[in-house]
Amino acid sequence: MKVSARQRFTCFLFAAAWLSWTATSRAQSASPLSTASPAFREVTDETGRTVRVPQPVNRIISLAPSLTETVYALGLQDRLVGDTDYCDYPADAQKKTKVGGGISPSLEVIASLHPDLVLVTKSFNRLETVHSLDNLGISSYATDPHTIEEIIASSKKLSDVLGVPEAGVAVAADMQRHLGDLQKRLRALPPKRVLFVVWHQPLTSVGKHTFIADTLRLAGAVSIVDAEQDWPQVSLEEVARLQPDFLVFSASHSDAVSPTVDALAALPGWNIVEAVSNRRIAVISEAVNRPAPRIVSAIEDLARQLHPDAFMEKPESGKEKLQKENPAPNLPLAAHSSFSPDAAQAQMFFPGGCA
Amino acid sequence: MKPLTLRRLLLQCSVLVVILFVVVVVALKFGAVPVSLYALGRDLLRVVFGQSSQISSDYGLIIVNIRLPRILLGMIVGASLSVAGTSFQALLRNPLADPYVLGVSSGASLGAILALIVEPHLSPSPLFAALLTPLGAFLGATATIAAVYFLGRREGQIDSTTLLLGGVITGSFLSAIILFLMSTLTGSLRGLSFWMMGELSTPLQKGVYWFLGIGFLVAAGVIYTTASDLNLLLAGEKEAMHLGVDVPRVRLVVYIAASFLTGLAVSVSGAVGYVGLIVPHVMRFIFGSDHRTLLPTAAIGGAIAVIMADTLARTVVAPTEVPVGAVTAVIGAPLFIYLLRRRLA
Repeated sequence: MKVSARQRFTCFLFAAAWLSWTATSRAQSASPLSTASPAFREVTDETGRTVRVPQPVNRIISLAPSLTETVYALGLQDRLVGDTDYCDYPADAQKKTKVGGGISPSLEVIASLHPDLVLVTKSFNRLETVHSLDNLGISSYATDPHTIEEIIASSKKLSDVLGVPEAGVAVAADMQRHLGDLQKRLRALPPKRVLFVVWHQPLTSVGKHTFIADTLRLAGAVSIVDAEQDWPQVSLEEVARLQPDFLVFSASHSDAVSPTVDALAALPGWNIVEAVSNRRIAVISEAVNRPAPRIVSAIEDLARQLHPDAFMEKPESGKEKLQKENPAPNLPLAAHSSFSPDAAQAQMFFPGGCA
Repeated sequence: MKPLTLRRLLLQCSVLVVILFVVVVVALKFGAVPVSLYALGRDLLRVVFGQSSQISSDYGLIIVNIRLPRILLGMIVGASLSVAGTSFQALLRNPLADPYVLGVSSGASLGAILALIVEPHLSPSPLFAALLTPLGAFLGATATIAAVYFLGRREGQIDSTTLLLGGVITGSFLSAIILFLMSTLTGSLRGLSFWMMGELSTPLQKGVYWFLGIGFLVAAGVIYTTASDLNLLLAGEKEAMHLGVDVPRVRLVVYIAASFLTGLAVSVSGAVGYVGLIVPHVMRFIFGSDHRTLLPTAAIGGAIAVIMADTLARTVVAPTEVPVGAVTAVIGAPLFIYLLRRRLA
């Protein structure tokens, strides 16, 4: 017997019925999750979303290294139940349950940790992750600081959202005190013209709206790149034309494959940059890449390297501590601390991938 | 050709459905968070009997709200791409045709991205906004297949090599434009890996699943009504015309429906490659090249393939996820080379 058009249609209907059954069962099962804690507090996050934050916030997941650092700085490490593969500071953060990278974390692992609040930051995480969390009924709070002032305000606000406003006030005061001291020292000095190297192949620097550009300003420097884009690619020719006083890199202890300063000078073409041939290269800790309280130490460190005269009169005790924290110039360079494949993705796919 | 009976068709389909079911259970079981088979079975029964509220919130969240929607999405994407691939292969009389290889997926990606770019300027109503991306993807897919079709014609005949080359070049040209757009624009566009490689990781709004399911059924149903014509087309356009097939009409209808399916899949999963190439081949190898069998079996087979690929994508380096398109490409590209060489030999 041959298949008639009607029989074919019947078959088609079978398939249709089956598919729609699957869809229905899905639709039924997607009922909102029972949320255990009845107490909520509504806050507006830094991207303007209204977030319902369960009270108290006992289980936190951080989806960016900077947020993990901030949580530690606020003394809430015991409430941090999960973080990303790139959360490596402080060392204790590496021991937390990992939920994957910042770009494509595992929603399953996040859900299985029962977080009260997931912390995300606009420059490192993706909007889809936030939407997915929304769909699962998991609250997420987003930060989006673009200047050092905003990093301070952001940490303060976060501390309030997490229920420890006093810790936030203390952290903010400490950051402001350090910055205030620094401004006193640098006030009279003309800024050094620098090129901040986010990544050397292709040569990528920072645009004027990034917190790193602000970091440079506060450290008594000014970026020779004045781009609207956050992570502009710069040609070596342009760098040679503008001849910065210093190149600024951030170091990383984790990335052993990155070139050293010497290797960099040996790269073809780089010797046309005077700062390279004269070894006027400042290497600061990877803290500079993370909009978290520790960035102040990177600012101080950079200021010390760019303006050593301003720090001459009193070789204070704080310097030793700083040197311990910040690797010597010949350690491997990782222009971008979190420049692992995932962070590379962040940058490529979501211009502005630094956190 | 063996005469096709309804019973045989149903039997073949039900065998595949059983395999699909097993694959779905495996996909539900494995993931970054371990789930026991017992808990899985218990929770699935509860879902079936409408007792979702009794599911422990832990598994419920992971299985019902994360894995199940993702599997459902994979099912629709796989079936759509596979049916689109089967259709393109029949229309172009080229077994190497596939939405990804022909550049149609890239065209759909570009269309979707352009739709996302113009969306804020149109300030459309929510419903229209939700449909704008699939519409853009569809238009991109249609325009691309038309372009590739004309590139592939030489002296009124489709030339296989020219067609494939035209498709590959068009795809790489469109990918370059996507790259250009992504590196100059900032904002809330999806990541580049989504448009280049495909991803299923983001759960969608409930209504979107309905739109996808119904859209797939309508387009696949339309293609299925031309199944016999597609069989005759295999012999050649002229021959089919002599046998009474309204070739221009069939061609137009199937092109539009297959482009729609591609646009549908790309707008929610990005450019997942090679599914539309390999699945029809495997199904043709097992069940023969009668499109009345090939189309439904390819649909189910596509669902199976994408769910399996996505399960791998979720688990190989868990908890970090790999784009599903990377998995399908790693398996699909070598197979494509094999098929190409065998064809040339």
